[in-house]
Amino acid sequence: MYNDKNSKKIVETIQNWARSHSIWVLAYGTGCGAIEISPTMTSRYDAERLGFRGAATPRQADVMLITGYLTVKTVKRVVRVYEQMQSPKYVVGFGSCTINGGMYYDSYNTINLLDRYLPVDVYINGCMPRPEAVLAGLSKLQQIIREGNANGAEKYLENLAWYKENQRKIAPNWIAKAPDLNW
Amino acid sequence: MKEIKDKMIAQIKAVFPEAVNKDYDGNRLDLTVNKEAVPSVLLYLKDSMGFRHLSHIAYVDWIEQGEFELVYILWSPLDKVKLYVHTRINRENPVIENIDMIWRQANTYEREIREMLGIEFTGLVAPDEFILEDWDDIPPFRKDFDTLEYVNRTFWHRPGREDAQDVRSTISERSGEEIPDFAKKYSR
Repeated sequence: MYNDKNSKKIVETIQNWARSHSIWVLAYGTGCGAIEISPTMTSRYDAERLGFRGAATPRQADVMLITGYLTVKTVKRVVRVYEQMQSPKYVVGFGSCTINGGMYYDSYNTINLLDRYLPVDVYINGCMPRPEAVLAGLSKLQQIIREGNANGAEKYLENLAWYKENQRKIAPNWIAKAPDLNW
Repeated sequence: MKEIKDKMIAQIKAVFPEAVNKDYDGNRLDLTVNKEAVPSVLLYLKDSMGFRHLSHIAYVDWIEQGEFELVYILWSPLDKVKLYVHTRINRENPVIENIDMIWRQANTYEREIREMLGIEFTGLVAPDEFILEDWDDIPPFRKDFDTLEYVNRTFWHRPGREDAQDVRSTISERSGEEIPDFAKKYSR
């Protein structure tokens, strides 16, 4: 029954609609952006009315919210957390540090472009973005999910060699010892 | 406070005549010693003069003079005096005696200095890596380490930053102000 093209499309539409309304966010609070998460999630802006809520562990989460600069050491942990998450999974880059390095663009130990190491679905710009911007970005993510275009996890699997090569460039010994996608 | 400090200086000078002192206002006292004398000076200060607490070991890279400087910052809880013990190390062969048998917490500071500045502490027992992982360049807090060149080599830049206005030159053009020579090298 599910094998013909139309039924598959209908099922996927319903799945995407459901996913877009129950987004569990794992806030990976690096840098200064974590301070914007608390007003977003609590009563002032109350993100739960739009369907976003916090997740306790990576394995329960749908969205990883990376809130600021990532040092070379944190990139390793972020990659590990991302690979532990169950698909469907999405990454939201938060703040200008994840987009182009921000004010740390010439720092020896912070990365500049997050999308070279992980597939980013939505970027929220600003330094720091206000909670309104966070809600707008997450709503944009909902829209992308409903349209069926939030396919970062598939992109990561398809281009795994490219992503791993970039990760290996900054962490040569660690990636060699780490298992591939099998934490 | 002045009498206490004068008494301290006299006592230190009696035991270590080659130590050079410099006085500051308030409860601060500075002392410059040879690097060979550092462990004995610190041990004497701790055991006989009440400087029981090591607050920090600060480090400076004097690249023009070819030297590193270490500053041991001590605190005397009884006399309420801060004592800064300065010492200079040759930049070509930066080796100094470690002092973690005097204060255990010095071990952590020395690991940081070894990693960030490349100073070797003889007899320091600690794992090789502390803050940096997989580091294969010169120590990053040395002044001859070019961070932007390292970033260009290791990471990527997103286009769009090149046409950003240089704040310093824009403001100086607007007001007709002369940029000093030392500031020009920071302009884009």
